[in-house]
Parts: sequence; structure tokens; C-alpha cells
Amino acid sequence: MRIFLCEDSLEGIFTGIYDAWAQDPGHGHVRLSLKDQYEPELFAEYEEIEPDDGKSEKVARSIQRKISGEAFRVVCRAAFSARPERADAIYRFLIEGFRYGGRVLRLLQEPAVAEVFALSRKVANEAHQYLEFIRFEQLANGVLFASISPKSRVIMLVAPHFADRFPDENWVIYDDVREEAAIHGAGEDWITAKIPKDQADAFLEAYGSSDHYEDLWKTFFHSIGIRERENPNCQRNFLPVWYRKHMTEFL
Amino acid sequence: MRSGFVELEEKLRILSDAAKYDVACTSSGVDRAGKKGSIGNSMAAGICHSFASDGRCISLLKILLTNHCIYDCKYCLNRRSNDVKRAAFTPDEVCTLTIEFYRRNHIEGLFLSSGVFRSPTYTMEQIYEVVWKLRRVHRFRGYVHVKAIPGADDAVLDEVGLLADRMSVNLELPTADSLRTLAPHKNRDSILKPMSRIRNQIAASRQSMGQTARLERAWGVKGMSNGLFTEDEYQRRLEGEDGFRLEGGGGVFIPGGSGSGIAGGSPVSEPGIGMPEPEPWGAGSRGGTGVLRPPERGLDIRTFAPAGQSTQMIVGATPESDYHMMMVTQALYRQYDLKRVFFSAYIGLNEDAALPAPGSPPPLLREHRLYQADWLLRFYGFRAEELLSEERPNFNVLLDPKCEWAVRHLEYFPVEVMSADYEMLLRVPGIGAKSARRIYNARRFGSLDFPDLKRMGVVLKRAHYFITLGGKQMFPVRLEENRITAGLIDDNRKKNWELSHGECYRQLNLFDDMKLQEAPGAEDFQKAAAGQL
Repeated sequence: MRIFLCEDSLEGIFTGIYDAWAQDPGHGHVRLSLKDQYEPELFAEYEEIEPDDGKSEKVARSIQRKISGEAFRVVCRAAFSARPERADAIYRFLIEGFRYGGRVLRLLQEPAVAEVFALSRKVANEAHQYLEFIRFEQLANGVLFASISPKSRVIMLVAPHFADRFPDENWVIYDDVREEAAIHGAGEDWITAKIPKDQADAFLEAYGSSDHYEDLWKTFFHSIGIRERENPNCQRNFLPVWYRKHMTEFL
Repeated sequence: MRSGFVELEEKLRILSDAAKYDVACTSSGVDRAGKKGSIGNSMAAGICHSFASDGRCISLLKILLTNHCIYDCKYCLNRRSNDVKRAAFTPDEVCTLTIEFYRRNHIEGLFLSSGVFRSPTYTMEQIYEVVWKLRRVHRFRGYVHVKAIPGADDAVLDEVGLLADRMSVNLELPTADSLRTLAPHKNRDSILKPMSRIRNQIAASRQSMGQTARLERAWGVKGMSNGLFTEDEYQRRLEGEDGFRLEGGGGVFIPGGSGSGIAGGSPVSEPGIGMPEPEPWGAGSRGGTGVLRPPERGLDIRTFAPAGQSTQMIVGATPESDYHMMMVTQALYRQYDLKRVFFSAYIGLNEDAALPAPGSPPPLLREHRLYQADWLLRFYGFRAEELLSEERPNFNVLLDPKCEWAVRHLEYFPVEVMSADYEMLLRVPGIGAKSARRIYNARRFGSLDFPDLKRMGVVLKRAHYFITLGGKQMFPVRLEENRITAGLIDDNRKKNWELSHGECYRQLNLFDDMKLQEAPGAEDFQKAAAGQL
């Protein structure tokens, strides 16, 4: 068994897939793992893969050309997941994908397809919930700032939505688990940047302010619930407690 | 500054508290991209932003413009004769609140309703001012849901519809009689008139934009043999004497489709629900009320209320049966092309001889069953007559409507998953719209097994009684109504096994059986499920 250790990023995973395919000891004898999330095994050869833009570009292009654009989006979402098996799952999915072409996404009876489908759905659901539950606070300099602690790397999936929604605002969405931010300037495109936690805290410290509209929102939130129908179980089903960490109305 | 906020907070508390009994807090039905120079966009799926302590979604800023009201509807907290704190927002306050909450991603838009202040037309004009300012001054592209006040002038209604995304008129009570008893200042016709006006404006403006007159529906629903939204129902109506034109009433809107439906639920006109035919399609749109006005600079052309119209009914304040509620719901979808009908469990607030006593628990389970049935109408191709009848007018407490239909119609089962058509797949309990579609896509390329179905989202716990896969059932269960019913009612696996492998029996229970002379038999289970016990 040869195990390819790739870096945890889209480029890293795609480069790993390129190299595993190129070396071709047979798909059954290859596995992909992530550098920082693997259990070493005794009877395996390890090979570390350095991310390579050219190779990952080629993989991305073949997925879009030979399978479909939708398949590429599914693979990207699966790569944003936090599960350690995601690199290998994508590899197995692509084996089926290059065999069947565009219809592969419908072939849910193939275990490899079902696996990537499940990963991708989980990430997509979490991203959608962050569209709902992200809360911006207005800082003294007018910047809208939101902190989130997602399980998957959702920032790439939620930022386009907010860029479309608030084209003339300056806003920042900060993922405090991966220490990564999506930053949008008024009238410009959004970018992502690695920002260490202490820098983000310093920024908040410098510009933080109390906001009356947050109090108004809490007032609204509490008066809109009907006491006679109180149902905390139902509330928790729709809005799990772990999301509430950064939400204005639960602070 | 600070005192202004205190005053605003007090108003917000009063007017959101007064609006909380309105149920339609959805932001769905319209896709609109954002634009430089404006704020906001909208997603057709809708986005819930929070969930209140009652588990209901908070998607829109749901407030009343004012809770002053000239009416005295008995069920309403804001009726004239109640001594409650009254307040009124100015249009600017509502706009500021909406925009500021929206920027912080608290809400998806505004849901504006109001008590009737001075007159319906005056109130509607106030609402119009809010929506106009939001759209034109604040350049807001998010979601706006507006209540149409019955009795308001048509001209105001038309203008509001061109700015709002969804409009709704509350039917409140399913029959004209109940309405007369509980809402003496309203009558059935005054509620249905704006509803039919909105329907016609929507149809006319959609057609002028090259869309179908009727609203979009869920995938596949328009092609269902027995469904409410089939194309041929509508086509027949349109191709009357005057061909394919909306203007000119070609008689009545013919209810009923082909009638060759799965369950043989022969299409009938809703008997005895007192739902008059609306004005013919397009009747309101003549005379250039402006459904197709030339686009102003920097503004998009938009259709009239692109997310459709909705309504709501109160459940449990009056003695109507579920059958009655569902027939009215069905008539509303068919004749008024509503996007949604909402149900609201009555909460006893006011003391009145005509109402349930204050403090009586809201009929939440009944509301839930009605919503389940509503989904069956809108997504699964069922008709109300298939689910309930005059003889069995209420839903089962123990079984959901789809399971109940299935155990009563075992002649259609078991369904072979590999070959059944989409409509039949949808009728299997435990298979929903998404999993049916996944099965439909996957089975074309190879065979499936039960774990595959589970992975696709089928709830095998319910579905396994009704399906075969390659001719085999998952467990050897005989297709008998009482066994399946008992199995469905009690999801406990061990019990299910016992039920499918032996006589129908129950574990000894210290409390339930004390007064019974003999152990409950199979018929008792059946009766319990049918609500006869």
C-alpha cells in the first residue's frame, strides 16, 4: 500500500490525486491521506506531496471537462469538509467519475459516489446555515464584522452570497477556527486572508463599540416568541446550540 | 439619541408582540441578485435567520405598522374593545429598522401588517409609503411581504403589489358563518375580492413578462395525473371561446382534471364550503392599471408580487372539521392560485362566549396534521378528497395523513421501487420528494438495494411495509391493515418484529389495562388508529 500525504487544501488534494494517478501502482494499492490528520500504519510506504499549481490546475480542468461543472462543485465542497477521509473519498469518486462521465452524480448506489455526495451535502448544509446564522456587528469605523466557528471550511461558500447582498459595505467574516477571513471592501471583490487570532482581537478591540440595534434585535427576538407554544426542543433542532456562540440574540 | 432608542424599543416590543400571531414568516419564492448601489438580494429557497423560543422561524421583521384598530374581531388581541397598549411606527422608523437589521444579517426583509387605522384605504396608503421608501429611497432589494387590508382601494393595492414580493390576505376562518360570528366587521366577499384581484394582477403581469399565468410549483407537480396544479386544468380554462387570451371571462374555472388519477379520487367541485368562484382571470387587469409600466431609470422591471400570494386560517376557534379546512385549502390553491395556505393554532387570549375558553391549550397536533396534508397537496399530488371525507372528517392523532392513506389503500402496495413511476414512489410513506427523485435518477443505471435506499434518504422504518426491491420485501411482512398500522404507530423495532411474526398482542401494562376485561385485539388497534376509540 502506498499512502500519499497531501496538504490540507484544494491544491494539495488535487496534486495528491494527480501524483497517485500518474504513478499508477493500481487504484487498489494507493490511498490518499492528509498530512496533519492521519494515523501511521506499519506496512505502508509514505510519500509526501508538495502542492503544485500546475498539477492541481490540470486535475480541476479535467474534472470540469470530462465529468461536469456540477461534479467539480461537489468535489470542492467535499474538500472543504473537516473529515479526515475526504482526500481519499474524492480520489475514489474521481475514479468512478472518469469512468462514467457526467451521469456519475446520479449513481448513488456506487459507494464512492454516495460517500462524496454525503460529504458535500453536509458541507453545503452547514454553509447554508451560516448564511442564516452569521451575525454582523457594526464597528465604530462602519465595518461589519462577523466571527464564526464552523466545522467545515465554509468561508469560501458564504462569502459570494454576502458580496452579492452587500456590494457597498465593508465587511469581514472571520473564521476563528482556521484563523482565516473573507474581506470585502465597498464596491470591490472579496478576498480571503490568513489573519492570526490576536490580530483579529486587536482589530475588534480598536474599533469595537456598543450597538443599539443589537439591543433592539434582542427585544424583537424575545417578544416574537409565543409563550403558549414554547418548544425548546424544536428550537434546538433548527438552531443547534453550537451555532449560538456568536449569535447576538443568545449572547 | 439614547431616549429615541428607548421609545423605539418600546414601540418595537408592542408592535412585534402584536404581530406574533401571524404565521407566514417565509422569505421564499423569489430569486433576485444584488446590485451595485443597492442593498440586498433574495433567494428562492428562503432563508430563516433565527428560531424563536417556540421553534418558529424568524425570517422577516414581522411587525404591525400600528395596533390601533377600528374593528372588533373576537379572536384578535388588538380588537377595539381590548385594553392593550397601543403604538404606531412612522414609515421612516420601519425603514430604518429594516435596513439596520438587514445589514447585520438578522433578517431577510420586512413582513408588514397593520391594524386598521381610520379606514382600510388610509392604512394601505401608510403601508405603501413604507414599501415605497424602502425600495426607492433605501434601494432595498431584499424580501418584502405585505398584508393586503380587505376593503382598501384597488389602486393602492396595485401599487403596493408592484413593490412587494408577496402579498397576503388573511382568510382567518374557513366558513362565512364563522366569520360572521367572530369577525362582525368583515365578510367573506370583502376578503375574497382583494384575493382575486391580486391573483389576476399576478397572472396578467406574469404573462406580460412571457411567463405562465400560474405560479411555478414544485418539480414534477404540474405533470401529476391527479394533482391540483396540472396544466390541462388550466389550459381548458384558458382555451375557452376567446382562445388564448386572459381578458374576457370564458365562463367558470372548471374544477377537476382527467379523473383517471391514481387513487380514483374523482375530481369534484368542493361541496358546501361556500367558496364562490373568483372573478375570471385577468378581469382586474384591463384599463392599464400599470402592471407593465416602463422601467424607470436604474430600476428593474418587476412582476406583480413575484413570490405569489398566501393566506392564513385559524385552527380550533370554530367547529369546522379538518375535512372542511382541507377542502377550502384546496379550493384556494385551485381557484386563487395561492402559493401557500398557512394554519395557525388558536391561542385563547380573549374571553368570549363564541370562543374556546382562554388558557385552553392551542391545538398544535391538529395544526401539524393540517400542514402535513398541505404538503401532500402541494408536493405529492394528493387531493383533499383522498385524505378525508364527510364520514371521516378529521385526521388521525396517531398516524400522519400519508401513512393513513397508505394503510387504507393497500391495494396499491407493495410498490416495486425499481419500476414504479415517480407519482407512485411519492405516495409511499417514508419516501419524500428528494429521495423519490434520487431513486428515479439512480435506478436508470443499475439495481439498488435497501442500504442504498437508506443512503438516499428513504425512511425504511415506514417505507419497508410498502415496497419491494427486485421483488423482495425487506422483512417478510404480510400486507394487512391492522399489523401495518400497529407497526407504524409503534416504531419500536422489537415490537414491530413481534407484530410481524405472531399474533397481534401488547406488552402487559399496569395502568392502561386495569379496567379492561380482555386483552385488546387486532380490531381495537385498528379502531384506535382510526380514531374510533
